[in-house]
Order: sequence, then structure tokens, then C-alpha cells
Amino acid sequence: MPTLHDVDYTLEYPYTRTTGPVIGPFLTGLRDGRILGQRCGDRVLCPPMEFDPDTFATLEPDLVEVGPGGEVVNWTWVAEPSAKHPFDRPFGFAFIKLDGAHTSLVHAVDTGGDPEAMSTGMRVQAQFRDERHGSVADVYFVPEADAAEQVIQPGDEPVTITEHLIGLRITEPLYPHRARFAQGLLDGKIIGQRSPVTGKVYVPGRGYDNMSRVLMSESDEVEVSDVGTVVAFTELNPVQYYGQTETEPYVRCSILFDGTDQPVIGIDIRDMTVDEMRVGMRMRCIWRDPEERSVTDIDNRYGNIPETVYARFEPTGEPDIPADELKEHSW
Amino acid sequence: MAPRPCAVIGVGQTKYKRRRDDVTLDGLVREAALRALEDAGATFDDIDAIVIGKAPDALEGVMMPLLSLCDALGAIGKPIHRVHTAGSVGASTAISAVNLVESGMYDTVLTIAYEKQSEGNATWALSGGKSGGQGAGGTFAPWIRNYIARSQAPEHIGWMVAVKDRLNALKNPYAHLHLPDISIEKVRESPMLWDPLHFLESCPSSDGAAAVVLGNDDIAKKSGRPPAWVISHAKRTEFGQFPGRDTVRPQAGVECSEALYRKAGITNPREQIDCAELYVPFSWYEPMWLEGHLIAEEGEGWKMTDAGDTELGGSFPVNMSGGVLSSNPIGASGMIRCLEAANQVRGTAGEYQVPGAKISIGHAYGGAAQYYAMWMVSSELNPEF
Repeated sequence: MPTLHDVDYTLEYPYTRTTGPVIGPFLTGLRDGRILGQRCGDRVLCPPMEFDPDTFATLEPDLVEVGPGGEVVNWTWVAEPSAKHPFDRPFGFAFIKLDGAHTSLVHAVDTGGDPEAMSTGMRVQAQFRDERHGSVADVYFVPEADAAEQVIQPGDEPVTITEHLIGLRITEPLYPHRARFAQGLLDGKIIGQRSPVTGKVYVPGRGYDNMSRVLMSESDEVEVSDVGTVVAFTELNPVQYYGQTETEPYVRCSILFDGTDQPVIGIDIRDMTVDEMRVGMRMRCIWRDPEERSVTDIDNRYGNIPETVYARFEPTGEPDIPADELKEHSW
Repeated sequence: MAPRPCAVIGVGQTKYKRRRDDVTLDGLVREAALRALEDAGATFDDIDAIVIGKAPDALEGVMMPLLSLCDALGAIGKPIHRVHTAGSVGASTAISAVNLVESGMYDTVLTIAYEKQSEGNATWALSGGKSGGQGAGGTFAPWIRNYIARSQAPEHIGWMVAVKDRLNALKNPYAHLHLPDISIEKVRESPMLWDPLHFLESCPSSDGAAAVVLGNDDIAKKSGRPPAWVISHAKRTEFGQFPGRDTVRPQAGVECSEALYRKAGITNPREQIDCAELYVPFSWYEPMWLEGHLIAEEGEGWKMTDAGDTELGGSFPVNMSGGVLSSNPIGASGMIRCLEAANQVRGTAGEYQVPGAKISIGHAYGGAAQYYAMWMVSSELNPEF
């Protein structure tokens, strides 16, 4: 069975950070074109720290301007920058001891893409970006000789909270059993895996029976009925979080398909209200036309029977299954 | 070799609120730690090891916080551990710290659990970052309906728990929700989130941290503060989904409490335990856990709630501090239960003190009700039952 598609799984959220009494003024300074360090005894720490790294004592906010010039004390070269790096051409990351500071700030040095221009002990100078938001990315460094004079207009309110789009992206092939399950849905079939130990049928299969701790493979796969019994349901009012596309209440239900031993959870029910749903109710899958089916929502973690393969689920009209017969299958 | 006795000798909490906008995450966690040290009459110098816990990293988007928290927690040059068991993590973390003392490896251990939920969105995180997620309430609601169907509990039980815990919270200055005009009518008329759970039957989303200093018997006797002896603890786990799983009364929860009581020599939890801090993020979990943790017979838990037994002043007070329904910094919530159980037997629970409490339990559950962590604390090292 060929891989249906590579999974492109992105987990990303615009997290916020409260900046507190020391980091807040530091970021406010960057926005306003000044680099600040925190006094700690007779030293100045830059980047500033909230707590004395030697004694763990709380440091009362006491910020003093450092730089904008400094010395590279160590460095490395980024030959192939990624989308999230500060430059789209090769650059250096360096420990920079700013004039007036006793510790080093890790930051980016732009030499126009030339690694030969980097050296330990070199003098660098801060350059501020035209658009500044109270972020460490408001500033970068260049060799001192390349530095331009800048006139920076300070902002208004102090920086107390920042926002960062933080995420990770994973690209991986669908696991073979997931690919076969997804192919089944495209073919209008629900594929489960039957445990070679207990005979219990799981939909979708995990590729192993977690109860008996044995692998399950293609030879353990069975097509199961697309008629089943509702074992649980919930109406949800969508929380409007980042990436949420739902705006109206919707129903999610768990269906125990005939011939299986564990319900498929999270089935999307669009054209019935919660008042029409009952535990024990018999339901049938009405598939979309084959050319309208899509399984791109299936990845290796989520997506059991996505609504992109079926038109709807509809009651069969058969008598309900008594709830106590479903006690073992409530989720 | 018998485990070294271990006691709570200091506790610290932050004020729980929607957003702590005056501190960094590090500053928030440190605030609880410093209060616990102060309560223990100790400093970072007295601490041999640190154990931290929080719910999934996706809640704040800080990966491996054990690295970035080292300065804030005075952990440089010392061992630091991080524990992770979803919503039960606060209690699992406390127990993991107890293990370090009981083993004899360390004399004094600082343990902290926290969440700064305002930095992200819990429902987003629990939905795997995808649209159309079910969230915690949406997952638990059908199981709660099954409990109601099975036990024949009347619908007002959930409302009673919601009111009782919020009234208790009025006595707790750290609680997030202070709702002086809470009433059965207000709960009943608040929006329905996930049938049968109304808005006011659900926990808030909080920023906060809780910390505990644990010491062995020598340390506890020297500290001069009233100790809460950790006389028993247990953790149990089960799969989230499998054929035969009882989601109303999960087997791992039953076995966790059996192990807890057996180790302590408890034969009649209802009579021998004075009060409990149970993890109740949605109102109906009070009767469900009273039964699921063997404090009440099956089908009888809601009757304790209905009779007022679980109120402050009742025969078996539950969530005297206001519970998860009043403050929910997820990762910390389990540790708060453990810490508040300790407050009761130390006699330091202030306005929500159960008079003369000698034995109390702290409890948490997590994931799809599949992780359990419980501890039992006592005012005496070797209580007799």
C-alpha cells in the first residue's frame, strides 16, 4: 500500500508573556533604542536577570544602559538560516559582552553573509530595526565599522506583555496502518484491526493491541460495518481559540460500529441537534460520493473518521440498544 | 528497609487569578517557593533537591521549563526533576518528592507545581491545537450523565457542589473565584456548557503556583513548625480507552485509593479520615470521586452531598479551600489539594479549618480520568485507627 500523503502537522499558538519588573524595562529599552543591563552587586548583567545567579537573591529592578558597542567573546556560524532566524542570509550567533556589562548577551551578527568577517574579540555595534515591538528581535549587531548612525523615536507605554507565535511543525509519512485505514475511508469502508490474542476489534487500529501488548498488522485487518450504536455524545459551544474555525454549537459523538469492541470517538454530527441524540441509538454512515471524499485531515495522532468522507450519519430506525449493554463502551 | 518518615514542613501559594500580569512565569513560580521556604523557616541553602511539575508544555509554550526555572528556584548546583502526568501532575509531583525523602537520598526537598494559563489557551492545547476540539468538559460530560443515570442522582447535586465550593472559597484568600452572591439559582441559570454542566459548575482558568517543603523526621522535629506527616501515598494509571473500561468509576482510581488506605491502615475511610481535598474540576466529580475512591458505597456519594455531609461543618468536609472549582492553575491544582490537606492537619487552614482534623487526603486525577495520585497526611507520625 503506498503512502497516501505525508502528514504536515503544525502545532502553533500566539502565546503571551508577562514581562515582570526586570525583563519589561529591558524590552521597553530595546523598543526605545537602548540596551539595559541589571545591576547585581558590583556587576551589570546583560541580558538582565530577575534573580542573582550566584546567591539566588531577588534583584530589585536597577537598570543601567550598556553598549551599544561590545566585543564578541565567542561565536558560531549559521550557514543555512531557517524561516524563524533573524536574517535570510548566513549570519553569526555570538556571545557579545556589551560595553559596561559583565556578562554576555547571545545575539545575531550580520556580516553580509561573510563568515570570514567574524572573529573572537571583534568589535560589534547594535543596530535597531525600523519596526520595533519590545522584543529581543528589535536589535541586531554588525561589525563596528559597518554601523550606521540611528535616531530612534521612543514609544509610549512600557512593555508589560509580549506575544510570540510559537510552534512546531512535523512532516512525516502516515504510519502504514493509518494509511490503510485512510485508504479504506476513501473506498467507503471502515477498516479495523482484530487482536490476534483476544479477538477484539479496534477501529481505527493502533498497529498494536494495547491490552495484550502485541503488534497488529495488515493480516489482522478486517472491514467492519458502517452501522453502529451511539455510546456517548456531547454538544460543544466552540471556544474561540486561535485556529478555531467552528463558530456554532456542534455535536460530537462516539459510535460503536457493529462487529467492533471500542467506539470511534469524536464523530462530527452536523445535521442533528443534541435533543435528537440518545445513547443506544442506531446510526448509519452515509458516505460522500467517492470523488468528494478526502482524508487529508487524518494524521498519525488525530482524525478517526473525518467528516470529509461522509455526508452525514442518520438514524437507522432500529430499536435502541439498552444503555446497560453499552457500559463497557462508554468512550 | 522501612521508608524514612517524611513530613510537610512548609507550604506556599500565590493568589490565584485570571492573569498575573505583574510577574514573569519564573517570578510566579518563585513566589510560591519563597513562601513555602519562609513557612518552613528555611532558605534555598537548606534544600537538597527540587521537584517541579506542570501540565503539558503546550499550555504555555515553554519547553523544558526545568531548565529556565533553575535560577528562580535556586536549583543551580542541585538536582532538579520534572514530573508530568497531565492534570494529576501536581499530586504526582508532591509524591515524587516524598519518594526522594523516604528513600533516604535527601533530607529536605522543595517541590513546586504551577500553571500560567493566561499565556496560552488550555482548550486549544487539549484539542491538539486543532479546530473543533472536545476539551475536558466535553469529554467528561457523557460520563457524568452515565453516573447520573446509574446512581439516579437528582440534578440539583451538581448545583449544590458548585455553590458549596464557592462559599468555601470565600474563606480562602488565595482562591481565584470569590463569588459572594453564588446561589443554586445562579448556577442553574448560568449558560449550559456541556449538558449537564453549567458554566458555574466548571472550573476557572487560573495563573498560580503552589510549593511544599518536605523534610525527613529529623528535619521535621527540628523545624519548630507543625508537621503534616505523609503517612501514605499511591499512584495508579490505566489506558484512556479500552473495551470494558468503566469511565464512571475507573479501576485505576479504585485501586489507587485501596492502596492508599491499605498502607495507612485505614479500614473505614468515611469514619477514619476527617476531611478531603478531591480534584473536582466539574461539580459532579464530587459524588463520583466519593464513590470512585471508596469513601461512599456505589450510588451513595451524591447522598453525602445532598445531606450536607461534604460542607465545611459536615461529617466529611470536601474541598474546604474551595477546590478546583474555585482555582485551577491546572498543573498546580493537584499540589494545592495535597497542600490544603496538609494545612488541615497542621491546623493552619485559617477560616476553612476543620476543627481538630488529624487525618486528611489530597487527590488528583488527569488525562481522560486515567492517572490518579493521592496522599494521606496526619498530624501524628503513627496515628492509630
